[in-house]
Amino acid sequence: MSDAASIYEGKLTLITGSRRGIGRMLAEHVLGNGGRVAGFARGESTIDHPDYVHLQVDVADPASVQSGFAELKKVADAVHIVVNNAAVLTSQYSMIMPPAAAHAMVNTNLLGAFMVSREAAKWMRRSKWGRIVNISSMAVGLEPIGDSMYAATKAGLTTMGNVMAKELAPLNITVNALGVSAIATDMLAQLPPDKIGEVVAGLPLARYAEPDDLFNVFDFFASERSSYITAQTVYLGGVN
Amino acid sequence: MNDITKDNSLLDHAAVQDIVLQALETINDERDADDKLVVSPETRLFGADAELDSLALVSVIVDVEEAVSTASGQAISLTDDRAMSQEVSPFTDVESLTAYILSLPELA
Repeated sequence: MSDAASIYEGKLTLITGSRRGIGRMLAEHVLGNGGRVAGFARGESTIDHPDYVHLQVDVADPASVQSGFAELKKVADAVHIVVNNAAVLTSQYSMIMPPAAAHAMVNTNLLGAFMVSREAAKWMRRSKWGRIVNISSMAVGLEPIGDSMYAATKAGLTTMGNVMAKELAPLNITVNALGVSAIATDMLAQLPPDKIGEVVAGLPLARYAEPDDLFNVFDFFASERSSYITAQTVYLGGVN
Repeated sequence: MNDITKDNSLLDHAAVQDIVLQALETINDERDADDKLVVSPETRLFGADAELDSLALVSVIVDVEEAVSTASGQAISLTDDRAMSQEVSPFTDVESLTAYILSLPELA
């Protein structure tokens, strides 16, 4: 059994935004190591695996999240690990940022993670064990032009997670954040390559992240041995 | 999320009170023998003389919400503005919470 298999076998990991990008990478990582995965996403499934269950949920809609959990409870006894990955990004100067785009980032990136964590914690409470991992961004530390709302939602996600870490600690539920640097995803492809290239060149570790860089930190947060690790953010690439 | 078949016929005072008392017993299951709550309709839930700490009260609320929602087929919330604006807190004791739940229009 690989080290990662010992983390995920016998457990259900819920991943939001599981259709593509980081969510899909993490889902395939967990499935490949013997875990079961439930995916929440607005669209139809892109993962075909016997241990994967897909639920069409819009995390920006609290009622949709609650319905998703009600459906999931019909096919699962417990959820052990939650990854709040679903996010939307509109990069634009504040003065011309469409208000609807700003609202969408708050509702998906922040409120969505809150609702999923809220419902998951109520469920995890019964087994007195849980791991919540919020997917944050280097934008929190770098504060790039154009990312006023996106960076704010990701910073808010960290603060929210740190408060929830205190609330949920007596229940043996940890809450941590993985701050992702530049990694090849559809979201990154929305941004100008030269802009991203400049950002990457300025990182202490001046390269794009690879999937295994994410898996390394995710495995760490999810493992049994990390029961004493909570309210922490680990950034990739040397961002802080 | 108001789905499922609605059947409130069994949710009378005794049934709701049982749900609240059971939630308190669940708290007791996790406590040491010398730290058990005295569970009765008069058990204080909230306020200066409450027997529950804040996390225990949250656990009771979550358990009661789930149990009432399951029994009635109606999703209820015990912590919305309606609850918080009551002149007397619904969480004062078991009896006040029972009475508040029975007053919810969702269960009418």
